Amino acid sequence: MPPAAAFERRVLRSAAEHHYLRVRLELPDGGARPSVAQFKQLVVSALRELHGEVGAALPVDVLTYEEKTLSAILRVVSSGLVKLWSALTLLGFYQNRRCAFRVLQVKPCISISSCVIWQQ
Amino acid sequence: MAGFADLNLPQGPDKKSLQSLLEAAAHLGYSAVALNHVIDFKEKKQEIVKPVSPLELFPSLPIVQGTSKRIKVLTRLTLVVSDPSHCNLLRSTSANIRLYDIIAVFPKTEKLFHIACTTLDVDLVCINVTEKLPFYFRRPPVNMAVDRGICFELLYAPAIKDSTMRRYTISNAISLMQICKGKNIVISSAAERPLELRGPYDVANLGLLFGLSESEAKAAVSTNCRATILHGETRKSACGVVYTVKKPRKVEEEETPLPACKKVKTQA
Repeated sequence: MPPAAAFERRVLRSAAEHHYLRVRLELPDGGARPSVAQFKQLVVSALRELHGEVGAALPVDVLTYEEKTLSAILRVVSSGLVKLWSALTLLGFYQNRRCAFRVLQVKPCISISSCVIWQQ
Repeated sequence: MAGFADLNLPQGPDKKSLQSLLEAAAHLGYSAVALNHVIDFKEKKQEIVKPVSPLELFPSLPIVQGTSKRIKVLTRLTLVVSDPSHCNLLRSTSANIRLYDIIAVFPKTEKLFHIACTTLDVDLVCINVTEKLPFYFRRPPVNMAVDRGICFELLYAPAIKDSTMRRYTISNAISLMQICKGKNIVISSAAERPLELRGPYDVANLGLLFGLSESEAKAAVSTNCRATILHGETRKSACGVVYTVKKPRKVEEEETPLPACKKVKTQA
């Protein structure tokens, strides 16, 4: 019988530089939909309301934006993920209209194959 | 893994809005919700009515997204107490109180907070998030509550509506975390509209903002909620527990073969 092979397991952890969030803005009243610039301004103002000027200075990019469905993919540095996520969660109003941000996916990499995705 | 639960949905008189709330909660992934009936003793005398059975209110419950089970609806009673005499209602064996699945108390003074944590038979102690806390938390009652299995509840819907409430929510939550070290925390909404509900992972992220660790924040939405529901069930069912312990046999007393009953008499 061949001798049992000795296995060595190496786990390489490299903290991902950016985190990607797929979000959708829910605006149930049939008013005007925000353009991409207004959407970015909404995200920055949400950060400023909760985390102040330091939060508003967080590097956030809107990678894709669909005006019809009001869904977008945001990119943020990994250290600012909790701040951005909490700011989007606690946002309640857009131009005095009630709204809600639904965070659908959060993943550390843009490609699907190399990370675990959950959906809500 | 314990399913996500939202233990505070205010029960208004409108059935349609409740139905839309339930559908929103099921769509977001909550496996269980509790309809909250609040009793405030400062107003004129209110009686505790029997809880309306969820089966009567909602003929068909929506299915939770991601599973194939229907959402579970429980009934909950919250007592806002500002005077020690209000607690007598809990001690009395009123039949209507026993019918609720979860009982929560909202103490307004430090003495009542101490009484609620140490002696009252409740499942949840609500922490005020809409105004500055009139008292500081102290370690002994909080530790006793944790030992008894009582959870502390924080709400997040006021934080969505108003920025002043946001500050009070976060500051009260942080002062609670300093004393209880993140154990036995439940975060729930008090959402009156479906737009004020947030998904379970969003709420867990809010826990990180309050100072919880990642595992504690996720437990605040899932495990601790399930523990509260089970605590309510045991409160309804068991009054006491009897268990047997095996007594170690002493070998030296085997000289005279006495029957067991006589042995016990000579020992006593």
